[in-house]
Amino acid sequence: MTTRLVIGGAGVLLGLYGAWLLLSRHASASIVDAGVWLVAGVVLHDLVLAPLFLVLTLVATRVLPPAARAPVTVGAVVLGSTTLLAVPVLGRFGAKADNPTLLDRDYTAGWLLFAGLVLAGVVLATVVRARRGGGSPTGRGAHGPGARR
Amino acid sequence: MRVPADSDFTSRLRSAAVTARVGLWLGICFGVAFVTGLVSHYAQVPDQPVPFPTSPSWGYRVTQGLHVTAGTAAVPLLLVKLWTVYPRLFARPPRGARRLVVTAAERASIAVLVAAAVFQLATGLANAAQWYPWAFSFRSTHYAVGWIAIGALVVHVAVKLPVIRRALGADVDDTSQDRPAATEAGVMSRRGLLRATWLATGVAVLATAGSTVPFLRRVSVLGVRSGDGPEGVPVNRSARAAGVTAAATSPAYRLSVVYADRVVSLSRDDLAAMPQSTQSLPIACVEGWSAGATWTGVRLRDLLDLAGAPAGHDVLVVSLQESGAFRQTHLQSNFADDQRTLLALQLHGQPLAIDHGYPCRLIAPDRPGVLQTKWVHRLEVQA
Repeated sequence: MTTRLVIGGAGVLLGLYGAWLLLSRHASASIVDAGVWLVAGVVLHDLVLAPLFLVLTLVATRVLPPAARAPVTVGAVVLGSTTLLAVPVLGRFGAKADNPTLLDRDYTAGWLLFAGLVLAGVVLATVVRARRGGGSPTGRGAHGPGARR
Repeated sequence: MRVPADSDFTSRLRSAAVTARVGLWLGICFGVAFVTGLVSHYAQVPDQPVPFPTSPSWGYRVTQGLHVTAGTAAVPLLLVKLWTVYPRLFARPPRGARRLVVTAAERASIAVLVAAAVFQLATGLANAAQWYPWAFSFRSTHYAVGWIAIGALVVHVAVKLPVIRRALGADVDDTSQDRPAATEAGVMSRRGLLRATWLATGVAVLATAGSTVPFLRRVSVLGVRSGDGPEGVPVNRSARAAGVTAAATSPAYRLSVVYADRVVSLSRDDLAAMPQSTQSLPIACVEGWSAGATWTGVRLRDLLDLAGAPAGHDVLVVSLQESGAFRQTHLQSNFADDQRTLLALQLHGQPLAIDHGYPCRLIAPDRPGVLQTKWVHRLEVQA
């Protein structure tokens, strides 16, 4: 218990130092803006992204054949997380006319290629599982792309 | 629709056994990002009690590549980890004032942790793509929230230590720490979910890391830069954006080297007539992209000698830029005296492109890209 109290106390001090940096070195308008972004992150995850994923899961379990469920889940985790982190490049929001070396790829084509590969992996894994007569929800492993028994 | 209750989430995949395993790697990623972030911050502090080292020359490149890679890898890890603990959001508050206070404090610490973690990943990824949809200063806010995130993470580890220990010490299929409602087999096994998480993490890194790891360039279809640019090197800020095109191409351009009351004035031809040195030094940006490059130019030390400045003095490097945070930079004496530090006139054997800093730019080993001042106009040796 003492160890945990020491670690926890150290964490509180580190966090308070960060809060002091944030509050003492910025104008109040910037602090409010940063606060809005901090809160928005939690709200977006907890009240938008997570419920959306819940609904998608619910629909998927009703619509998909059992053999496809695990591969689709693996595909969704891979494609969903990478798509989310690629939002800044996919939108090209930071592109500048005077600097052609920034955001200089065809991100839409790259994403379509990536999504196509994931989809192919999902279909392949589903077919393999269906042939094996698999798809039982207690199956031993994921059969998504790259995941092998 | 009603608000779900904790008992509505029945999947056995939402288990501390999974959370602890994903959380371990998430914690490692945040730890790496925090330490490498501190390195970058310290490298940019003008007055350093302990001088930032000039060797290895690739030190800044590797630490900042790691910084962005760790942040990228944290995205799938954080999403899966939050998925496994999502039912806790709907847990009923306990009875009794004392337990209520403890629970409220724990919840508050988790709210701070999630807010800070999401903030760091979102602002960091946007910054790498030079997207600033906010009013606050990115650099100082990302730095401050980094301390908040790591502090909240350490508190979280302290609170959860017994659960983490038990979970990591037992088999991944152990159910002794599961919520009572988590009784149904999920769509896949726990090992399957973990493999899917590692796969997503690896794919996220491969899809983006080419901006700093050259051999991944063709694979990294979502990287912020392909690595192309004038003379084969990307540009962070163009001459046009800096407003220096006219001054940089003017025949009246002169470089001034100032030491005490002595001023040496040199044209670009004068610089080209001096002994030239060629160095392989990476250019590594704070935003996480980097490129190896071969630079040719005059040793900075030779220029300081021309003005009669002895070794051991810091140098103020002033650009032709009339405004901007990096119009002038502070070059510590260990960098100024390093034999590899150049005022470069050429990149890859070609005259420096204007976007790379023509007529001449600073290039020093192990130094943040924003401090490798372009379009250098004055070198002022500090007393």
